[in-house]
Amino acid sequence: MVSFAPTSPDTAEDQRLYTEARLVEVACLDCLATVRVKKNSEQHTSIQWDAESLSQCAEFARAASQPGGRPVRAACSRLRSSIDQAVRDGAIEVGATDGY
Amino acid sequence: MSTTTDARALDQGIPPARYARGWHCLGLAESFRDGKPHAIRAFGGKLVVWQDSKGELNVLDGYCRHMGGDLTQGEVKGDEIACPFHDWRWGGDGKCKAIPYARRIPLRAKTQRYETAIRNDALFLWYDPEGSPADHDILPYELPGLAEGEYSDWSWNVTEIEGSNCRELIDNVVDMAHFYYVHFSFPTSFRNVFEGHVATQFMESTGRPDKAGGYASGGTDLFLKSEATYYGPSYMINWLWVDYKGFKTEVILINTHIATSPDSFTLQYGLIVKKPEGLDDDTVKIIAEKYTKMFGEGFLQDVHIWRNKVPVQNPLLCEEDGPVYQLRRWYEQFYVDQAEIKPEMVERFEFEVDTTKANEFWHEEVAENLRKKAEEDAEAGRPVAH
Repeated sequence: MVSFAPTSPDTAEDQRLYTEARLVEVACLDCLATVRVKKNSEQHTSIQWDAESLSQCAEFARAASQPGGRPVRAACSRLRSSIDQAVRDGAIEVGATDGY
Repeated sequence: MSTTTDARALDQGIPPARYARGWHCLGLAESFRDGKPHAIRAFGGKLVVWQDSKGELNVLDGYCRHMGGDLTQGEVKGDEIACPFHDWRWGGDGKCKAIPYARRIPLRAKTQRYETAIRNDALFLWYDPEGSPADHDILPYELPGLAEGEYSDWSWNVTEIEGSNCRELIDNVVDMAHFYYVHFSFPTSFRNVFEGHVATQFMESTGRPDKAGGYASGGTDLFLKSEATYYGPSYMINWLWVDYKGFKTEVILINTHIATSPDSFTLQYGLIVKKPEGLDDDTVKIIAEKYTKMFGEGFLQDVHIWRNKVPVQNPLLCEEDGPVYQLRRWYEQFYVDQAEIKPEMVERFEFEVDTTKANEFWHEEVAENLRKKAEEDAEAGRPVAH
């Protein structure tokens, strides 16, 4: 069951390209979390977490223990630094392929 | 219609056969507290809402299980809603409480009722085609300071949208460029985070000085920092921090909808303004009305696009676009059985949109538009507009 059923099999391939293609694993330099990352340009970043990596993020865990504040966590600064480092190390290729 | 082999096909898909599971906002709770039955179009049918003598708000399916009479045109009698057709009386628990002309009530006289909750002054109902009990843990975020009177009164509006599935509205969460082209704002920073049942858009923008109306009001003097979060499939809280020539205002915009059919929905938007120190209530009310007008115009700009576009399941994206496919993957969780929710639908996902190229081009375009306008004004002998 899908909310909008595609009528073309090519749509499934588009879904795969935009959500899965070219994701590279990046391990956080400060905790055990490993996420999948894509950099289409210097400013662009796409980060795919999973339940395990999210539970391992030390910065989010600390934020959650603080009283007050809204529950939406904008970003982990340590992971951002780790991604920047991975780009400098050449582990992540910066650039897009035909829009994805 | 001619076709070429390398032309990209537009997959319009098939609209969903069901409606989103979750908490849906029906409107300000106060608007249902007048002792009368209220009709809400929802999920392909109609609901009846009324307040009983204990002050509880009740929601039942709008049609009487006896002969199909329209309960929303009935009367509140005591704690029950009475059908206008044969006066059958239905209680908030969904049971028939009385049939005044009958010796006894049939044992099976039970109708569809919905669990309700009040949050941020609004009435919510829990909808799930699987019939699961309401999940109170995922009610929308409770706005601090609302009960303490730190905000203006609600300015609340209702608009019926015909000819579009409500996912068109959801897509806006990731659509950076449409804010420039449709709403005449100028986004400089744009970011999304999806996690669990929550999806957020972080945006910074100014108004476009070359356009009038909508978000262009205020031009480059208007700096807007916006955080907009969907709590579930339909209720969004949008925090807006507005800086107009150093005058700072905190605005909260509620953007909520109920699907009425596979290609129509009711959009409701409500706005409150945090009362700034030293400002009287009347001034705050004027500010609230000004922003209500601005965002009201914004929704109408969207509606015009929706009315004329087609649905598309395979959008073709460029590098400057937001994560449309990931947003729709997130939205999908509300349309599958709870046991069918895949991990990737709820796993945390972050996306930072690259606005550098867009901003570069838009700056040039705005400057060119202003130059042309100045030229036209000079030719027409009009004074230079400010």
